[in-house]
This record gives sequence, structure tokens and C-alpha cells, in this order.
Amino acid sequence: MRLIGQLRRRLRLGPALLVLLLWVLPNVGVSEDRVIVRGNYYREASTRVLQPVVEVQADVPDERLSLGTAYVLDAISSASIASGAAQVTGGDAVFTEIRHEVMGHAASRLGDWGLGAFFRYSTETDYISRSLGVSAARDLLQRSITLSMAYAYNFDRVYRIQNNTGARAPWCGGLVAIDECTAGGSGYGSNLRQVHYVSAGYTHAWLRTLLGLASVEVARTLGPQDNPYRGAQIPTSDAEIHPLARTQVALAGGARWMLPRARVVLEPRYRFTADSWLIRSNAIDARVHVRVLDHLRLRARYRYYRQSASFICADSPADDLDDGSQFFCSTASGDFDTADPKLGAWDSHTPGVQLVVELDGLAKVRGLGWLAGGWIEATYNHVFQSNRFGNARLGALAFSLAF
Amino acid sequence: MLVSGYALLGAACVTVTPAQRQALSRPEMTPATDASEEVWHTHVEAAREAGFGGHGAAGGGCGCG
Repeated sequence: MRLIGQLRRRLRLGPALLVLLLWVLPNVGVSEDRVIVRGNYYREASTRVLQPVVEVQADVPDERLSLGTAYVLDAISSASIASGAAQVTGGDAVFTEIRHEVMGHAASRLGDWGLGAFFRYSTETDYISRSLGVSAARDLLQRSITLSMAYAYNFDRVYRIQNNTGARAPWCGGLVAIDECTAGGSGYGSNLRQVHYVSAGYTHAWLRTLLGLASVEVARTLGPQDNPYRGAQIPTSDAEIHPLARTQVALAGGARWMLPRARVVLEPRYRFTADSWLIRSNAIDARVHVRVLDHLRLRARYRYYRQSASFICADSPADDLDDGSQFFCSTASGDFDTADPKLGAWDSHTPGVQLVVELDGLAKVRGLGWLAGGWIEATYNHVFQSNRFGNARLGALAFSLAF
Repeated sequence: MLVSGYALLGAACVTVTPAQRQALSRPEMTPATDASEEVWHTHVEAAREAGFGGHGAAGGGCGCG
């Protein structure tokens, strides 16, 4: 069970709330009844994720009120030998963990205003997550500019599966003794993990063929943020110990510029993040969209990501280890330690391609009119990263119909 | 710098009317087209990177509809 927990945490811990922001914000100009079915796939040396997703959105009866719902299933599998934990399991074995997520959202367009709200619930063996959020957007200059604001609140309950009994016990972070940890309340000694998230966005149609975007996002996380199982990978401690508070800031900007004669759209993006754990990151994402045929789009992508080490790994590197198969860091004082590769310094390169077939052409065939507005999308990204996770492959296949 | 500043200010006041948004309404020019995919990328990045954000807080629209 300990290993299962390790595997699960590797993929889950993080601001899951942030995943939802696209739902929070009203999608100006995309008001239609639509269903999307996706199959996402992630694979690296030690972990594999299969994630089917179903999304439905409908206007009732028009864009003044749109309602939507989504269901997400995460099936996370890992081989123990590949993850370096064969000594724990006594040999190679594949573990699969399941996470269920459901969400509902509502959006309303009233003149130049767009309003949105959502609620999400996610559950798995040792983690329960709830999120809710609201947003507002205002169009200006005949909708050439959209300003938006959003707030979301995440409140999770973190548990730990006991190694010997399989029972579930609350986890309040490595700083808190297990017998002082409770499953209720908030603050020190509680297993409540909270995230307050605020964002502001700016979208501007500069020209007939040029769109610019910028955003500022701030997240404040309180409560347990370490992994209840990963302490086994740290030789100098029984538990991974992270601070109980973290503030993160992200600044992002980008553009989409169409070259009509070439039927090409250039899309550069840049994002900078900083946080109170002293990690700085930069991400450059360059995309080129090419309309190869009237109903066939091809997209090529390259992303470069680089981050610095957290204060846990930066202050006494002589005590740390990162040899490709093992990773751990600790502060000189011994107050904090980690085996999370995300808190070290590393970089990654991600090339990718995407092919989209728009089904409007097929919809002209008698009997296939129901395909109008539909599309099929296939995506592949390969991540070359310099941390212990190793290189990764991301694939996705999606199908959508308007109704 | 001054010229760039004036150009920026001038561009900020330009209004692209709805009738001029044929190109902006194409799927490849519409950020909301990628919303579903961006959720997946955000999920993976949150699990694998210390950085966060940049996947849609700008509102996903240009008023192109």
C-alpha cells in the first residue's frame, strides 16, 4: 500500500484546482451545445496514466445560461521495478489506482458581461478534494478586449494508508506528529489542505489577424503539502517534511498571429513563475498551426521549461543526492526535507504534433449532417526531462460533436 | 522607445469590429478551442513541475463569436 501511495502522490499532489480554471471562465464566443470525449495517455519509465474524459455543455435555452458537466477517470499504473521500489514489493508488480472526478459548471452571458461558477468533487483512496469558484469577464471596445477575474477555493482532506493494516489515517504533514493529527478543523494539526486562487486575464484583438493574451495568477496553499509515503526514500528522516504554507505567482503572455495567405497561425507563449519556496521557473512554448486542407489542421509545438531549486535543495547541496535513480534534499538545519524531484533544479524539452480533422466536409454527405461542427483530434508530445522522472510520452485522442 | 510606446498606445485604441473578425473566429485563432487539451496539460504539469498557470486565465475569448 505504501508503494501505491507513492505512485499516486507523484501524479496528484499539486494545485489540482488550477486544472479547473478553464472551466471557471466563461468561454466568450464558444456558446454552443457540445459533447467532447477524450482519452488522455501519459507514460514514463515508472508510471502510466489513462484518463478518459466526458464533457457535455448546453445552452438553456441560449447563451444567457449555459450549463455543463464533466466526468474524469484517472487510472494510474506503475511497475515497481521501474520505479526503484522492487525491494519493497519483493519483485516487479503493476499497481493501478483509480481517481474519480465530477464537475458541474454554469456560465452566463449578459450583454458585455460573462459570469461563471463551478463546483468539483474528486475522490480516491486517501484523498478527497472539493473546489468551487466564480469568475467574471467584461468585454470592451466592441469585444476587442476582454478583461476577466476569477477566484477559486480548494479544500481537500489528506489521508495516509497505514502500511501494516491498510487502514486510512489523517495526514497533516511531516511537521505534525501522527497522533496529533485530526481529520477535522483547519490549521496546524488538521489534514485540511486549502488553496485560494485568484487570477486576472486580458485578451485583446490587436488587429484583424492578431490576438494577444496576458494573465496574472496567484495561489496560496495552506496545510499538508508533502507526501505521506515518500519519507522512505530519504535516508536522513522518517518523513518528507515540507512547509505548511506556500504562495505562488504566475505571469503569462502570448499571441496568435495569422498569416492568411499561408494559412498559418503562429502562437508564441511565455510564462514565468515564482514562489515562496524560492523556485523560479520559465516556460517558452512556440506553436505553429497550419491549415493543410480546408478541414484539416496540423499543429507543431516546441516547449522549453526550466526551474530553479527550492530552498530545501538549495541551501546545503552537499547533503543532497540526484543521480538519476535517487533524489532527495534536506535543509542544513534539518527542519525540511524532500524526495520530490519537482523541488530540485531541472529542465525539459517538449516537441509535439497535433492533427485535427473537422467533420464539416463529411457533414455535407446525405445522412451525415449530424457531424456538422464536429471534429477529431489526435495529439502527441514527447518530454525530454533532466530529472528522476525520466522522459515521458503524452498522447491524446478526442472526438467532439455539436448538437 | 517613444515610437514603440505610441504604436502600442495607438494599437490599444484600435477597435476590430465584429465584421472584421473572420480570421479571429477561426478555430486556430481561438484559445477556447484548446480548452479541453489545456486542462490535460495543466494536470500533467501540476504533477511534474513546480511552476503553474498560464493555461487559460486570460478568459479564453476574443469576442469573436
